[in-house]
Amino acid sequence: MNALTVLAADEFKAPGLELFDIPPLWDGAPYWLTKPVVLAVLSSLVMVVLCWSAFSNPKLVPRGIQNVAEMGYMFVRDQIARPFLGKETDRWMGLLLSIFLLVWMWNLIGVVPFLQFPVASHIAFPIVLAASVYLLKIYLGIKHQGVIGYFKNMMFPPGLPKFIYFLLAPIEFLSNLIIAPFTHAVRLFANMFAGHMILAFFSMVGFWFLFEKLTPLGAPVGVVGVLMTIAMTGFELFIQFLQAFLFALLAAMYIGGSLHPEH
Amino acid sequence: MVMPAMSEKERRPEDDGRDFANAAWSIPSYVLAGIILYGGAGWLLSRWTGVAVFTPIGVILGVVLSIYLVYRKFGR
Repeated sequence: MNALTVLAADEFKAPGLELFDIPPLWDGAPYWLTKPVVLAVLSSLVMVVLCWSAFSNPKLVPRGIQNVAEMGYMFVRDQIARPFLGKETDRWMGLLLSIFLLVWMWNLIGVVPFLQFPVASHIAFPIVLAASVYLLKIYLGIKHQGVIGYFKNMMFPPGLPKFIYFLLAPIEFLSNLIIAPFTHAVRLFANMFAGHMILAFFSMVGFWFLFEKLTPLGAPVGVVGVLMTIAMTGFELFIQFLQAFLFALLAAMYIGGSLHPEH
Repeated sequence: MVMPAMSEKERRPEDDGRDFANAAWSIPSYVLAGIILYGGAGWLLSRWTGVAVFTPIGVILGVVLSIYLVYRKFGR
């Protein structure tokens, strides 16, 4: 061991991708049984219990948990579903409320002490949700507009000069059937991934300079790290809500677009 | 945004909101699709012919076409 490696071990090392490289829960556990999987199942259970206790025995004048859950319901109905689904809102509320609450809970777990891992920062989870919405979108489009009608309405919007369809139809196809579902999943994944990295970085700075290697020069840096961790946690809470909202909003938009062809 | 086929009376405020949100969320994916498609075609053309300028021409064509598409679909 030479002087350089000793020095390297003493230096601050920013957290990297190893944050997301999670082994099975215990030695010999099935390879798929990891922390994010457990947290995803836990989120579903929490959501089921929440909705069950709120809506299984509803009162005309809501109190307690029903009151809180109804606020969530009203938010999803008025801000997410109605603008895109209009009269058909009530039919889709079950799905949209589930998507919104589940994604929000996945995200919130990222700042719950000890759990502290945003489920959606493993891209497999948002991919499954986005793919379900994507399949539903195509199924509904074909059911309500017919196979030919669906693709015709999507790729050949009326009112354009004939020759230009040749150039624009491929753009419509790529945009609607490949890029839209891709960005639907990636937007949620990337936000949660980056948020987790930022929080890990600042808390690492605070921990390293205040506890690991406390020096007169390093201490202020550590204090900045702690303050930034607190500030970024607040910001992250906002992003977590925003991303859950956007994920459900886009789901509502895709469903609405399949029910009614764009004119 | 008023569609020519509909009169003012038939349109409710929430229709405008929906059109606006639809347009806002569709524009990036249309522009991206245009760039990938025609930029990719230009890049292939550049590789085959050895003329480098086809790639930027394709990218610009893609952006122009996708913005034209967005304009015709959601604009006016």
